[in-house]
Amino acid sequence: MGLARTLAVRAATLVILLFIVLFVISFALAGPASEILKDEIMMETKSIIMNLMLHGHYNSTQIQQLQTQIMTQLENAYGLNKPPVIRTLYIMYNMIVFNWGYSYFPSEYGNVGGGKVVDIILSALPGTILLDTFGILLSALIGIEIGLRSALKYGSRSDRAVMYYAALSNGIPQWWLGIVMLLVFAFYLSQIHSPISFPVGGIISPKYYNLWLTNPLKIFTIPQAVLDLLWHFTLPLITVLIINVGGWAYFARTVVLSISQEDFVTFAKIKGLPEGHIVNRYIMRPAAPSILTSVFITIPFIIFGGFLVTEMVFHWWGLGYVYNIAIVGSPVPDLPVVVALTYASTLLYIVIIFIMEIVYIILDPRLRE
Amino acid sequence: MAKRRREFRILGMTPSEIFKEFISGSTGKVAMALFIILVVVSIYALIVLPPNFAEIWNNPKYWQLNPQYAPPAWMDSVIGPVYSPQIYVNNYEYSVQQSNGVTYITISFSVDYKYDKPWNEIFVVINNPAIYNLPQPPVLSITVYRPDGNEIVLGPLPINRRVTTLGVAPEVMGQVNLFYAEKYHITGVVPTGSSATPYIFYTVDDGKLTPLKGVYNFRLVFYVFSQNASSLINREDLEIVLQGQIYGLMGTDNEGHDLWLGLLAGFPIDLAVGLLTALIIVVIAVVIGIVAGFYGGLVDEGLMRLTDFVILLPAFPLLIVFSVLFRWNIWYAVVFLAIVSWGASARIIRAMIMQIRNAQYIESAIIAGASRMWILRNHILPQIVPYILYLLVTNVPGAILTLTSINFLGLAGSEYPTWGILLYYAEVFGALTSGYWWWVVPPGLLVAFVAVVFILTAMASEPVVNPRLRYG
Repeated sequence: MGLARTLAVRAATLVILLFIVLFVISFALAGPASEILKDEIMMETKSIIMNLMLHGHYNSTQIQQLQTQIMTQLENAYGLNKPPVIRTLYIMYNMIVFNWGYSYFPSEYGNVGGGKVVDIILSALPGTILLDTFGILLSALIGIEIGLRSALKYGSRSDRAVMYYAALSNGIPQWWLGIVMLLVFAFYLSQIHSPISFPVGGIISPKYYNLWLTNPLKIFTIPQAVLDLLWHFTLPLITVLIINVGGWAYFARTVVLSISQEDFVTFAKIKGLPEGHIVNRYIMRPAAPSILTSVFITIPFIIFGGFLVTEMVFHWWGLGYVYNIAIVGSPVPDLPVVVALTYASTLLYIVIIFIMEIVYIILDPRLRE
Repeated sequence: MAKRRREFRILGMTPSEIFKEFISGSTGKVAMALFIILVVVSIYALIVLPPNFAEIWNNPKYWQLNPQYAPPAWMDSVIGPVYSPQIYVNNYEYSVQQSNGVTYITISFSVDYKYDKPWNEIFVVINNPAIYNLPQPPVLSITVYRPDGNEIVLGPLPINRRVTTLGVAPEVMGQVNLFYAEKYHITGVVPTGSSATPYIFYTVDDGKLTPLKGVYNFRLVFYVFSQNASSLINREDLEIVLQGQIYGLMGTDNEGHDLWLGLLAGFPIDLAVGLLTALIIVVIAVVIGIVAGFYGGLVDEGLMRLTDFVILLPAFPLLIVFSVLFRWNIWYAVVFLAIVSWGASARIIRAMIMQIRNAQYIESAIIAGASRMWILRNHILPQIVPYILYLLVTNVPGAILTLTSINFLGLAGSEYPTWGILLYYAEVFGALTSGYWWWVVPPGLLVAFVAVVFILTAMASEPVVNPRLRYG
């Protein structure tokens, strides 16, 4: 009873959060940022007029008339003639029903789904899920193991090394390490004609790209394609591991340390229980839930921080790389994609948070009652 | 009777005790040392950089004499003399002759060419507008005496602007091509669209172009068609620059910016950005935390709901979208980032205050008739000051890393080059595919350095603010 209620409150909070984010973005788009839209309409009109002038004969007054006509038509189509409130609601409605419009520069995204923003974002999801799932789970596993070991050897040289490593890996921008990895293992290795070198980016070789964009699951039935994917996956994964292991190790270390100072551990030591017994029964057991829950709780924050930019550096076909194309790779910011991506990220983020909280409740017996 | 000096104590420790505790561990010592380095370098950066550095940085003309995409100058001492260095010719011989209404200014100097890759370009800079704006501009003729005994005559070139670029003048290209055609019977040595200057330093060996090493003597003659003293090219008006293939301590970028200065400029701006964000975060967090923790009840409930909300906000995607929509510069991004990041800090402050509020001495103070403000000032604030400082330190690295990421996307820019902006241009101009390591590695290392300094400081101060860890 109480559990269901807790979850319901949580879900409601998250939905409200989603709405607020959606409202703020839509309002920004409808009101203060509509200048950008106007600029873009201007640009579009000019390109249409240029086309017309190339293919037909018009005099300057006709061109003027056509231009204003097209401008007003486009402004109406984008809803710029309506008051901002209506426009905000209209944008919100379109966002909610996944009617995210069309990209301005579909060719930048390899013409996925004919430039439909929904299709572009859907095609980017598998890449993000692949990198994030493996990256986070592997780094958590390795990191927690290292953290436990170093906490048990508190104050030793290896323990101190782990501390410094944690500090360093928290301070290094993950994406910058990605750049350095690319420079060393892709650029310089191929420069010296090393037999093994890594690709300079991308999620998979060009010949499989279309298949990946349309049907990523089918990739896993072709052994060569899987190998190719793994080859492309190596550098991003190693980058992510190097950066994330340190944080987990430090966290696990702190939790284990604070538990090993508890009275019941001291008492177990005084009782003369064997060391392994103390570690397994008296330290690990109480430490496990709080380590695991924090693993789960921090996942969305990790994904929507460093991982996005790391994808950009590796040109890894995921949400982050699509962001990169929409912002940097396009001649002007590709507004429909940027806005839809932010909404999609928030949605995904909230879904993950909600799932993680359910897991949290399952793991922590105190919350189950 | 003398008043007893009141001892200043925080968490039961005097400041010197706190400092001793902080410095006792190895982390504290390392953090302290790195912090001092950081402060010293930042002060050095502020002294070295001119006050209008942003303006200079964004003025391409200022950097036009520098080579583009050049590795650092110390490369030659690592891999041997391969790249020609940047040379500003100062010790040249200078003589003036006048006859028949013409002033002849002769300048001769020599350079020792012992590298594999010759100079990109030779610039003749006249810093006196009166000279290059003359109705009949002066004319420059150059003779190069090569180590193989040959000579190449270049020019005459009109001096009608501040910077005369030797190798791109059509006459010079023709003359260099002619030289190779006459001596070695090779035509079209200088590729169209590139400068002729490097080919002054080549010879033909076995039908192939190879660098000709040795001492080159240059003789420049300026013909000024007037005998006025005002139109005389003085030593101080004249600069002769041989553009090298390596430059400065940290190399150059696509515009010839001296990256050493760019990296230095990153210290004040990145620190300012990080500290300002952290400061705003902490101020909001302290106000919210104190109000929530101190007043309790409905206010507390409401503020904690708000805090939960803020913690959940996806800060990075929002920062991206607003930077795009509103074309924010970095200071807007700082404020926005602070506004969506204070949640966790506010929770910590509130938890502290709740703990203190329930202590017995507060109860006694209330019974004794103390006002809320008095309690706040005398009992609560002194106790949370160390935590405030601790939170200030812990929030800096995250802010710097986030804003560097945003800058790396080419968003939230600033006039002053931040390390993130340097990395953005490096990415855009293909530093990765061309292997410009000097453009990519140092900015990231510096970001990491600053972040690590703050992380280590936070780690070292944990035992101070968290007494449970103190005797661990």
